Amino acid sequence: MIQINPIIRLVNRNLTISINPGFIIWQILFPLIYIFVAGFAYTALIDNVPFGDKNIDYPAFLASGMIGFNIMNSTLISGIIIWNDRRHGMFEQIMSGPFTRSDYILSNIVTIGIIGLFSAALITAVGYPVFFNSVDFSIVTIPLIIFGSVVGAILFGSIASIISTRLRSSEGFNVIINTVFLFFAFASTAFYPVQGAPQPLATIFYLNPLSYLVDIIRAGIFGQVTDFVIIEMLLLIALATIFFVIATKLLTKLDF
Amino acid sequence: MLCIETKNLRKKYASTIAVDGVDLQIESGQVFGFLGPNGAGKSTVIKLLTTLISPSNGEISVLGIDPTKDPLEIRKKIGVVLQQPSYEPTLSAEKSLDKYGMMWNIDKKIRKKRTEELLTAFGLEEIRKKKMDDLSIGQRRRVQVAREFMHDMELLFLDEPTVGLDPSARRKLLDFLRDQVKKSGLTIFYTTHVLSEAEYLCDNIAIINNGKIMAVDSPSELKNRFGHEKTIKIHISQVSEKLKSKLSEISECHIKLEPEPTIVINSSNSEIVLMNILKILNETETKINDLSAIPTNLEEIFLKVVGDSN
Repeated sequence: MIQINPIIRLVNRNLTISINPGFIIWQILFPLIYIFVAGFAYTALIDNVPFGDKNIDYPAFLASGMIGFNIMNSTLISGIIIWNDRRHGMFEQIMSGPFTRSDYILSNIVTIGIIGLFSAALITAVGYPVFFNSVDFSIVTIPLIIFGSVVGAILFGSIASIISTRLRSSEGFNVIINTVFLFFAFASTAFYPVQGAPQPLATIFYLNPLSYLVDIIRAGIFGQVTDFVIIEMLLLIALATIFFVIATKLLTKLDF
Repeated sequence: MLCIETKNLRKKYASTIAVDGVDLQIESGQVFGFLGPNGAGKSTVIKLLTTLISPSNGEISVLGIDPTKDPLEIRKKIGVVLQQPSYEPTLSAEKSLDKYGMMWNIDKKIRKKRTEELLTAFGLEEIRKKKMDDLSIGQRRRVQVAREFMHDMELLFLDEPTVGLDPSARRKLLDFLRDQVKKSGLTIFYTTHVLSEAEYLCDNIAIINNGKIMAVDSPSELKNRFGHEKTIKIHISQVSEKLKSKLSEISECHIKLEPEPTIVINSSNSEIVLMNILKILNETETKINDLSAIPTNLEEIFLKVVGDSN
C-alpha cells in the first residue's frame, strides 16, 4: 500500500469538512453583493480613488479589496477547524491516531493556505471584469499577490487558531470571532479609501493587518509597488510570524 | 503475550491523584473489562495507555512499546473510542467511515468494502446518507465505534461504547466485538457502567476506585471470591409487631415495607438464616406470598468491592 504523508491525509480531511456548498456559496455570494451592489451604488459618492500614480474607479477599488477581505474571511473560518475539532471530540480522536501534533498543526496551516489561495483566485475571477481596465500585472506583481494571499492566510488562520485554543464556550467563541471579524473587515482599507477619512479612523485603518494585506494585493493588481507597500509587506510577515509562533505554541500545549 | 503492562502507574493533576499506583497485566486476545464508579480513574488510565497524556510516575508498556518513548508507534497499532462523542458534523455517516479510513491510509477499494460491511454490521444502512449532526446520540455512537474498524489494529480501547444505545443495538455491538476477538485475536480494553455487559463480554475484569485497582480476575473468579453473601427475599402478607420483635434478634436480615412487605436476608449463611426465619414466620402465623433467591451477579460484587474500598 502506498504510504500517503499524514499531513496530506489530514489536509484532505480538513478540506472535505471545510469546503461544503454553504461555504462556497457564502464565499462567492457575499463578495458578489459587495462588488456589484455596493461597488456600483457607492460610485455616486466615491468616484475615483487615488492609488499610487493611478486613479482607479470605486468598483475596481472595492473588488480588489474584496480579495483580501475574502482571504481573511475564509481563513478565519478554516482557522476554526481546531475549535470544531475540540468541540466535536475530533482533536482527541486524531491525536490518538497515527498522527503527531506537528502533523496536525502543519495540516491546518496548509489547509488555511490552500483556502486562502482558493479564495483569492475565486474573487480575482469574479472581480476581474470590474477591475480589468486598471490591471497592470507584471512578473514582479503576480508573486506579490500570491505572497500576500499566503502570508495573510497564515496570519488570519493563526489568529483564529489562537482564539480556538483559548476559548471553551460556544458563546464566548462566537462573540470574540465576530468582534474580531467586524474590526478587521470594517476598520480597514478593504471597503473605503483612507484618503478623506478622519485622522483617528485612518490611524486605526493602519493598525489593522487586513489593510496591509489589501494594499499589497492592490499593489499587485494595479502594479503600484511603493515603499509604503514594502513596509506593509514587512509588517505583514512580522505579524504573521508572531501570531503563527503563538498559535503553534498554544496548540502544542493544548491539553486533553 | 502481554499486551498491556503497567507498574505503579500514577497520574496527578494539581492536588488530585487521578491514578494511584495501578498495576495491570493484560494478555493478548481477550476482552478486558475495566470497571469503576464515576471519577474512579478509568478514562485517565485509558488516556495514559493511548498516549494522550503522560504519567506522573510509573512504567507503561503497550504492545511491548513504551508510550513515553515512542507514542506514535503505539497509536499506529491501536484503535480508540473515547468516552466523549467524536464526529465531523458536516459529513454523512457513510462519508465519515470512508474519510476515517482515508486518514488511516486505507486503500480506497478496501475502504469501500469495509464501509459497506460496517454499515450492515452496525445497522447503519438506513442512515448512511444522513449528516452526523442530524443523527441521534445512539446512532452517532454506533458510527463512532464502527469507524474504528475501518483500520487494522492489535488493541482496541472502548470507553463506555454502549452509551445511548438501545438494548438490541447494544447486544449487536457486543456480539460483533466478541466475533472480532475470535476472528482476529484482537485485544479489547473495555470500560462500562453496565455490569451485565461486562459479565457477558469480558474474559477478565479489573475494578478501580479512587485511582486504585481493587480487584482483578475473571468474572467467575470474582464471584467466587466476593460472592459468598447471598440474598434471599421473602415476600409476606403483613408485618405484625410480634414478627418485628422476633426478627430484630436476627442481625442478618431486615424488613422492607415498600412496595410490599419483604424480609431480605443478606448472609454468607443465608440457608441457616432462612430456616430460622421460616420458623418465626410459622410461629407468628405469617403467610408467605413469594420467596426468591437472587444469584450473585457482577453488579453486587462491584457494589461490594467499591463499597468496601470507600
